[in-house]
Amino acid sequence: MWSLLLLVTIADTLVSPPLLENRSREPNTVEVTLTATPTRLSLVPGVETEAYAYNGRVPGPTLSVREGDKVIIHFRNALSEETTVHWHGLHLPFSADGSPFHPVGPGEQLDYVFTIPEGTAGTYWYHPHPHHRTRDQVAKGLYGAIVVRAANDPLPPLPERLLILSDNRFLVNGAVDLPARRTPQGRIDFENGREGDLMFVNGQLMPTVRIRSGEVQRWRVINASAARVYRLAIPGHRILHVGSDGGLFQEPVDTSEILVASSERVELLVRGTGPPGSRSVVQDLPYDRYIQQTRPPDWERPRDLVALQYTAEPPIDPVTLPATLRAVPALDTTRVRETRVMVLTQGFINGKAMDLNRVDETAELGASEIWQIENLVGMDHPFHLHGFRFQVLDRNGVPEPYPSWKDTVNVPKHTSARIIVRFDDYAGKWMFHCHILDHEVHGMMGILEVR
Amino acid sequence: MPSRASGTRWLRSSLFLAGLPVAVGLAAGLTGSSPAAPPSQADAVLRGRQLVLQHGCAGCHGGVVSPAQDGWLVGMRGPELEFRIGPCAFQPGAEPCFRTRPRNLTPDNLTGLGRFSARQIFNALRFGLRPGETPDLEITSTTPGEGNHPLDPKYLAPPMPWPAFRHMPDAELWAIAAYLKDGVQAVSHRVDDSEGPPDFWAEAYTVEAIGPHPAAAFPTGNEVRPAAGSTELAKVLKGRELVISHACGDCHGGGGNPAAEGWLAGVRSPQMEFPVGPCIADSTKPCLMQRPRNLTPHQATGTGGYSERQIFNALRYGLRPSETPDLAISSTILGRGNFPATPNYLGQGMPWPYWRYMSDEDLWAVAAYLKHGLKPVANQVKDSDSPADFWASEYTVEKIGTYPAPSFPTAHERRPGG
Repeated sequence: MWSLLLLVTIADTLVSPPLLENRSREPNTVEVTLTATPTRLSLVPGVETEAYAYNGRVPGPTLSVREGDKVIIHFRNALSEETTVHWHGLHLPFSADGSPFHPVGPGEQLDYVFTIPEGTAGTYWYHPHPHHRTRDQVAKGLYGAIVVRAANDPLPPLPERLLILSDNRFLVNGAVDLPARRTPQGRIDFENGREGDLMFVNGQLMPTVRIRSGEVQRWRVINASAARVYRLAIPGHRILHVGSDGGLFQEPVDTSEILVASSERVELLVRGTGPPGSRSVVQDLPYDRYIQQTRPPDWERPRDLVALQYTAEPPIDPVTLPATLRAVPALDTTRVRETRVMVLTQGFINGKAMDLNRVDETAELGASEIWQIENLVGMDHPFHLHGFRFQVLDRNGVPEPYPSWKDTVNVPKHTSARIIVRFDDYAGKWMFHCHILDHEVHGMMGILEVR
Repeated sequence: MPSRASGTRWLRSSLFLAGLPVAVGLAAGLTGSSPAAPPSQADAVLRGRQLVLQHGCAGCHGGVVSPAQDGWLVGMRGPELEFRIGPCAFQPGAEPCFRTRPRNLTPDNLTGLGRFSARQIFNALRFGLRPGETPDLEITSTTPGEGNHPLDPKYLAPPMPWPAFRHMPDAELWAIAAYLKDGVQAVSHRVDDSEGPPDFWAEAYTVEAIGPHPAAAFPTGNEVRPAAGSTELAKVLKGRELVISHACGDCHGGGGNPAAEGWLAGVRSPQMEFPVGPCIADSTKPCLMQRPRNLTPHQATGTGGYSERQIFNALRYGLRPSETPDLAISSTILGRGNFPATPNYLGQGMPWPYWRYMSDEDLWAVAAYLKHGLKPVANQVKDSDSPADFWASEYTVEKIGTYPAPSFPTAHERRPGG
C-alpha cells in the first residue's frame, strides 16, 4: 500500500505536447499540417470550455526543427474568424511572419514557408497575431512551442523538459473569462494585461516533474501568458541559466531566480541538488510590474507552478557541464546606420496608436541600428520586434554583462534599454510592440518597414 | 516656506475643507482666443514663464516662487510634500488613501517632460489628460470618445488644478508648454508615480463635477454687465477669465462656476473655513482659522467700499484693503514708495505671492471684474485669525522671493534652443 502511494506521488505528470508530424521525405525539410479549430475541451478539470485549438489540443503540438531546415507549414483556419500564425522569434520572410498584414480568413488556407538559419537553435513559440484579436485567440488556446535544434549543441545529452507557462481565467460555466473592455475587470485587464488565477504548465495545473538526486535536466521555458511576468525560482536550488529567446549563451550563468516576461523564453539547467525522496516546487515569485491604480491585491503571493519530486533512487554523479556553450558574437556598434528612440507610454509607442496603413519607421536592408527604448510610465512593457533578433546593449545605462540573442526585452517601469539589431535578409513591414497582449491589441504597436 | 504653504494650503483647503475628494473644478471661463500671428518661441517662453509663476506651479512642483531657487519645477523632493487624497486627508489611516506627487516638469527625457510633445502638455492643461496615458493627438472635444478625446480618459491626479487652468486661452497654454519644453533646464529627478483609483479619477472629473469648458456665458445670474461708462467690457471679461483660471472660487465660493450659488460671496458655511498655523503639522497645536472673504462689490460686506487700486494692491503686494491706504504703491520695500512701514498682509492661504506676478493689466482686469462684473451679495464673513504682525514675518523676500521675478534665464532656465 505504501509503496503504491509512493509510486503515485512521485509519478512524473508533466506532459509535453506531441511533435508536429513531419510528412516530408526530403532531407532537411520539415513539412507539417496545422489547423486552428474551435472545439470543446476540458481546460480545467470538471468543466468544458469553448476553446480554440491547434490540431485539437492546448497547447498546440510542438514544431521541432533543425538549423538549416526548410519548413513548410500547411495552415488551415477552421475558425469562424480571421487569424494568422506568427512564428515568434524566427527570422523569416515578411510573407511568412503571420503578422496582421497577412490574415487568413475563416476556412482559408495558407502555407508558411521559411528556412531556419544556422546559429538560431533555441526555443521559440507560435501564436495568432490577427489585428485586434491576438489576446482572445491566445486566451482561448492558440499557442504552441517551437524547438530549433543545432547539430553541434554544446550541452551533453540531458533529460529535456518543455514548460509552456500560461495563466488563464474562467467563468463558472467554463467559458474563458474575457470581460468587455468597459467593465471593471475589463478595465483592469486593459491596464495590466489579462492575468489568470490558474497557472498552467503545458495546459496542466501543478504537474510534477521527477528528478533523481544528482541529475541535471535541461528545461526550455516559454512564457505564453498574455501579460504575467514570471519570476522563476526553485526554493533550495540554484539554477543554471544557459539561454534566452534566441538560444544558448556563451557561458552558463548561475542564479537563484530568473525573470521571464511575456513571450520571453529561457533555457535552464535544473540540478538535482536535493536529497532522494524530497520535494520542491517551482514558483513564480512576486514581481511588481504594475501601476498602483490596478495592481492586483494579491500580487505579493508566490504562485506554485510545478512540483519537483525527487525519486527515492540514490544520487548519481552529476554530468560534467561545459564551461563554454557557444560563441555569441556581439553586434558591431561602430557601424550603426541609425539610432531610434522608442518612447513607451501606457498603450502607445512614440505617442501613437498603431495604424496598419502607416509606416512608423523605415530602415535599410542590411543596416545595423540602435534602438533606445524608454519606458516613461509606471508599468513594465516587454518590447518585441518581429523578424529580427537583437542584442541588449544596456539597461538604464548599465551595460549588459554578456551578449545574448533576444526578440523581446522587458523594459521595467521608468527605465530605458538600448538594443542593437541588424536588418538582414528580409525586406518587409515588421511589427514592433508591447507583448502585453491587451496593450498590443489596443494599439501599442508600430510598423517598421525594411527596404 | 509660507509661499509653498500658502499655495499648498490654498489647494488643500479647496480640496478637503469643501468635503470633496478631489479638486473643485472651475466651470466658467471664456473661449481662448488665438493671436493673429503666432508669437515667436522666445516670446512664448517668456509668457509661459510668467504664467507658470502667477499660477503657482512651483508651489507644488518645486522651487516655490523663484526660478532662481534650487529645485525649480523638478517635482516633489520629499515625502512630506505628498498630498493625501481621500478620507485619510481628514482622518489618518482612513481608506482609501491615495498619495499624489507633483511630478518633474523639467524637460528631462526619462524623469520629466522631455519626451512629451508641447501638444501633450497642452492636452494635460486643457483636458487634464495624463501625457503618459494619452496619445499625442489634437483633441477637439471635451466629451470622452469624441474628437480624439479618449473614450476612457485618464486624468492627472488631484490636486493638480487643471479644471481651473483649462480656462486659460489656447495661446497661454501653448506658452506654458513652450516654457516647460524650451525655457527650463532639464534635471534628472524621479518622482514616484501618483496613486489613484483604477479609473484614473474619471468619476471625479465629469462635466457635472467640474462644469463645462468653455464656461457659462457672461453674465450669469451672479454677474452683471458693467454700467455704462464704468469700465470696458473686455477688461471685465478678461478679469473673469483670470478669476476662473486662478481658481478664486475654490475658496471664495462657487467653485469654478460663475452661475453657482455663492459665487465669490465668501464663507457661507463653517466647511469653507480652513486652518493654518502650527496645527497643520501638529494637531495639538493651535490653529488660525482663515475665512475667505466676500469678493462681491457689496458695500458693507464685500469689496464695494474699496477702490480698484486697493484690490490691485491686495493682489500685487498682499496688502489688506481694510488696513492699507488707497495709494499708488511704487516699491516693495517697507516704508518706501507708499509701501506701508508695517504692512498688514492678507491671511495665509491667499496665494497672492503667486498672483502678484500677473501683469498690471491683468490685475486691473481682475479688480474691474470684481467691482463691475459681479452683483453685490450681502454676506458678512468673520475676519480671519492672524498673528499680531499680520503675517509680516512670513512674507519676507527670503521666504517668498522677489518681485519682480529674477530676470530670465536663471541658472535653472535656458534660452530657447540654447
